Amino acid sequence: MSRYLLRRSAGWLLMVVAVTNLTYLLAWAYLDPRSNYVGRRPPLSEQQIVNLLEPRNLDDGTPLLERWWNWFSSILFRWDWGVSPTGQSVNDQVAYRMWISGELMLGATILLTVLGIALGVYSASRQYRLGDRVAQGTSIITMNIPIVVAALGIVLLAIAFNNAVGSTVFYVTGSSSPGVSGFLPTLLDSVQHIALPTAALVLVGYAQYHFLQRSLLLDNIKSDYVRMARAKGLTKAQAVRKHALRTSLIPVTTQVAFSIPAIFTGAVLTESIFAWKGMGQYFIETISKNDVNGVVAVAAFGAVMTAVGAILADIAVVVLDPRVRVS
Amino acid sequence: MATESFPLADATSDPLVGGGDTPPVEPGPGERKRLTKWQLYSRRFVRNRPAVAGIVIFVLLVAFALVGPLFAKYDHVELDFLALSDPPNPDHWFGTNNAGNDLYAMVVVGLQRSLLIAVVVATGTTILSAVIGTAAAYFGGRIERFALFVIHFLMVAPTFLLLAMMSNDSGGDWKVIALVLILVSWFFQARTIWTLSLSLREREYVHAARYMGVPGMRIVLRHLIPNIGSLLVINFTLGVVGAVMAETGLSFLGFGVKLPDVSLGSLIGIGASSMSSAPWMFYFPAAALTLLTVSMALVADGLRDALDPTSAAGGRA
Amino acid sequence: MTTPVLSVRDLTVSFPSEAGRVDAVRGVSFDVAPGRTLGIVGESGSGKSVTSLAVMGLLDENARIGGSVTFDGEELLGKSDTQMSKIRGNGLAMIFQDPLTSLTPVFTVGDQIVEALTIHNSRMSRRAAWDRAVELLKLVGIPRPQERVRSFPHEFSGGMRQRVVIAIAMANNPKLIIADEPTTALDVTIQAQILDLIGTAQRETGAAVMMITHDMGVVANIADDVIVMYAGRAIEQAGVDTLFADTRMPYSIGLLGAIPRVDKAEKQPLVPIKGSPPLLVDLPDACPFAARCPIAVDACLAAEPQLLAVEGAVDHRAACIRAEEIRAGLIDGEPVYPIPEIPTSSLEQLPREDRKPTLEVENLTKTFPLTKGAFRKRKIGEVRAVKGVSFDIREGETMAIVGESGSGKTTTLLQIMDFAPQADGDIRIVGTSVTDIKGGRAERQLRRDVQIVFQDPVGSLDPRMTVFDVIAEPLRTVATPTAEIGPRVDELMDLVGLDPAHSDRFPAAFSGGQRQRIGIARALATNPRLVVLDEPVSALDVSVQAGVINLLDELKVRLGLSYLFVAHDLSVVRHIADRVAVMYLGGFVEHGDVDAVFDDPQHPYTRALLSAIPIPDPVKERTREHIVLTGDLPSPTDEISGCPFVTRCPLYQTLDPEQQIRCESEVPLLTGRPGVHVNACHYR
Repeated sequence: MSRYLLRRSAGWLLMVVAVTNLTYLLAWAYLDPRSNYVGRRPPLSEQQIVNLLEPRNLDDGTPLLERWWNWFSSILFRWDWGVSPTGQSVNDQVAYRMWISGELMLGATILLTVLGIALGVYSASRQYRLGDRVAQGTSIITMNIPIVVAALGIVLLAIAFNNAVGSTVFYVTGSSSPGVSGFLPTLLDSVQHIALPTAALVLVGYAQYHFLQRSLLLDNIKSDYVRMARAKGLTKAQAVRKHALRTSLIPVTTQVAFSIPAIFTGAVLTESIFAWKGMGQYFIETISKNDVNGVVAVAAFGAVMTAVGAILADIAVVVLDPRVRVS
Repeated sequence: MATESFPLADATSDPLVGGGDTPPVEPGPGERKRLTKWQLYSRRFVRNRPAVAGIVIFVLLVAFALVGPLFAKYDHVELDFLALSDPPNPDHWFGTNNAGNDLYAMVVVGLQRSLLIAVVVATGTTILSAVIGTAAAYFGGRIERFALFVIHFLMVAPTFLLLAMMSNDSGGDWKVIALVLILVSWFFQARTIWTLSLSLREREYVHAARYMGVPGMRIVLRHLIPNIGSLLVINFTLGVVGAVMAETGLSFLGFGVKLPDVSLGSLIGIGASSMSSAPWMFYFPAAALTLLTVSMALVADGLRDALDPTSAAGGRA
Repeated sequence: MTTPVLSVRDLTVSFPSEAGRVDAVRGVSFDVAPGRTLGIVGESGSGKSVTSLAVMGLLDENARIGGSVTFDGEELLGKSDTQMSKIRGNGLAMIFQDPLTSLTPVFTVGDQIVEALTIHNSRMSRRAAWDRAVELLKLVGIPRPQERVRSFPHEFSGGMRQRVVIAIAMANNPKLIIADEPTTALDVTIQAQILDLIGTAQRETGAAVMMITHDMGVVANIADDVIVMYAGRAIEQAGVDTLFADTRMPYSIGLLGAIPRVDKAEKQPLVPIKGSPPLLVDLPDACPFAARCPIAVDACLAAEPQLLAVEGAVDHRAACIRAEEIRAGLIDGEPVYPIPEIPTSSLEQLPREDRKPTLEVENLTKTFPLTKGAFRKRKIGEVRAVKGVSFDIREGETMAIVGESGSGKTTTLLQIMDFAPQADGDIRIVGTSVTDIKGGRAERQLRRDVQIVFQDPVGSLDPRMTVFDVIAEPLRTVATPTAEIGPRVDELMDLVGLDPAHSDRFPAAFSGGQRQRIGIARALATNPRLVVLDEPVSALDVSVQAGVINLLDELKVRLGLSYLFVAHDLSVVRHIADRVAVMYLGGFVEHGDVDAVFDDPQHPYTRALLSAIPIPDPVKERTREHIVLTGDLPSPTDEISGCPFVTRCPLYQTLDPEQQIRCESEVPLLTGRPGVHVNACHYR
């Protein structure tokens, strides 16, 4: 079993490496660090630009293969992800940004999964009754509100709320306030900052689990083994709780892993709206500044998140499903 | 064998994978039969009130995008220097931005642009995913392994980043954006179709065709794809929603459609920066966008209920 | 007279549907006496399963139920789910059809049995419950119950899972066990085991049994009393002997006449019941069988006949106004169902050796590699699904391969259809070896000569194509000129007994039997020499099955076809085949002329197989010796050095140790009279 997980993890790791390398090559096709310097005043000579870019491994005069090897070997041997066109270390940027984004994504993923599954169970057990219809109606709308609209709407609401209570309960920009110290104040401060972006991500994201869980549970409620459980003497509610729920959780778990890219995209947009200095904002910055190394680091971050999600899902499936455990 | 099932209960079996969906009744004239099927679909669709609301809203939005320009007093690039950051008024129905562009005109053009991209992308992804998904399942072997590898690869790959990079590089050309969107969004549907086609591939009529000597690609086109028809219809609708969202997200960040061309996303991006001073700049495009996505999603939901009554939930799984 | 455990009075069940209200059960009444077995027979849609689910209170919430169900003196209808749950699994237990899906996959079988025990007996300790679970597993014949109690359902075979389900049903010593087609999903040797086991369960618990089935043989085997259901009503009700000996309702007569018999050698055509059952929506007040009945008169359409005592006998009732005119299947001295005529072939006069072979199979072998590893598949072994099978089929001949699931019969057939080149053998179709085929054109050319008919009449026709397109597809594939396609399709429709005018309809508009006819028409489109039939009637109801079998018989004669017929139903095989091969674990164990094999079976497996089939004749069934095989088919991955049947062989048990060694170490070859009757047993 652990060998199975190890094998799966190795597979995902390979995938991440492949994706990162491919992104590196693609990034060079679409980003041009040289152009950052072309319009400069006073104009820089060709040689000056090369002198600036060459030591940063960003000079497109160097053959692509050589650039790639420089980049790849420095990651491989020194865990050095390179520098931006202005010489900032990518490692430094990512080191603090990844925690900011990680916190947001992890929190939102957990919340929206739990909320979605809970609502799915609620909905399925009240199929076609009022509660189910209202929940479904709400979910189909929230799921299809574009994240940008949702986040900006939440900003407007929060501002109105803050104005109404007369103090800043929710912060609409940044991930923390400067100068806060002490455990409790820091915690409270982060909650005040993280609440809104998380709410935006959860609002648009929970519904897919609501629908998935509902349909899987309903399928399982109709299954032969639930009927069998009822024939044994369990009430319908008991049979659903004991027999249908656990089986229906298995596919939901797998789904979580595959929705991480969507959450990442959502995080990019929310971070930009709430002015978080996380990976999402770095994503925008690096693309607009032709920061090849930075872009690749963002890609690697996204891929790693997906892989981690997938591995966690694999573990969950192994725990939940004896059929996998045996093979 | 001989399972107890009522002929009429069969009527609810799954046309998504082309099961026997109508009872073995005494045959009536074929044409009439076919009509009844469509009548059945439309009856089921109409029963879903939100879906009807969705289609009405969607039709109104399309009409607005098509005939809206006829009523516009200004062009969307035209600047009215006498009305900078004006709130909605009889002259500028939706107000203006700080440069004096008429928001009404911009929303109409933005809606056109977003709709156009969405429809192109949804068509492209539906076709691509249908062909790749079914072909991978039917041919199996190396073709299947390769297709699945690409699909899994794209699942891990940060597609939004690649999309942003490429579309930014194109300078905001909507045709390039649409193309790239197709390239990075077909795989999810392809995977669903592949899963579904795996069971379709084992259908006896597929075996029968093969044993008649019907060439492989012909089987895919004649037998597999028509039998996932209803799924494709639903996928197309959801594809429109997805494409609108991706495009507006991109344009919002400034990587998508760029001025002077506008899309709903870039309009919201502009609106976001003046939320407290000129909130209408956000309200109108945001409302158009949300109506578009939600109405289309409601339509998809109604279609699923109508075409695939076995799907109890109608989630986007 | 004892008080019945279960008493059902005027039970009605209806469901809403798109087409209107479906009246699935329309006034059914019966009693089940303690310790007795009531068989309820009927075809799909007759309402028999719905009746059982209504008794259990397990119908969907949208079902409307009327009448009365009294169990053990208590009225069940109108009880809440919670109240019913006290009775279900306690006094009233149920065994479902499909053992593969009846058990929850994520819990061990022990957990599931313990749950059944503790839910009705909260004071029972966990220890005691587990001990009882092991005891129950032992009782139902699960080997090594101590270990197996901790296994998950997927680690058991279908037959073993059904044993677990029966153990759960027995757990609380119920007064009534309802078994809904408990053996339909199982192989015939396993069916025999399970029927035995249900008998055991009945003796152990003293329970009454309500056996729901479509199989007249099963009824004859197990039931004391029988109810025949049609279109939601009981149409005949009697003790088992009376029902089989003195059948009165034409539908019951038809049902019995339509079944091929494994114990009868003479090839009388089967008697099909024409048409198909009515839709249960807005039924008129008339006999629902009138449209299909050969002796219907105007009075039949005047009102729906009541289930009335036949000639004053309280225990024999029939719902037919002409019931008293019918005697032993005859009315006015004529059979109720006229026997159809099937032409005989001129080819039959020709000795077998003089006819040309249409299919020659030599040493056909198929192995599947067993692989391990997620990225690089390593081969760790192989499964030999088919091991060196050889046979030939001559013109105008039907060769049948019979075997249980996992025997390799379907793989054999697919190898032939795939034109799979053989390393150490050959497949020759009308003289052309498949190894000689190069390229798509040559392949299509050869495919003209061999076509296939599948099992599932629903799955084998593309629901998005009209019947015309379905039948035209093979014609277009061989590039038939468009002008010729239309007339040819009409001709084919006509040939299989369908109205050519209906060819513009979609398959969904046809019934199961009609769809199978469409499948046959499609197979005949290119004028093949050989038609491969993969269980062509096993998905059909018996009344329809007979018509299709007769059609196949007739076509063979008229068109001089050869059939390769693969089936698990030995009765059908006996009826249709000229030659038969019995397959076990990928190899033939017996092969020869059909009468030789069936009348004088040599191999212990063939004997067991034949004796396991319940015969629709309660008197014969009681006196017949049943050989019940123990255990399951060994896994195909097991390494077998001797006779593959050794693990289940009853003969092997009686041999002395020296002889047993030969069975274990030496693979038996097919010996006997070559070409007539051979078998693969060392001691036969």
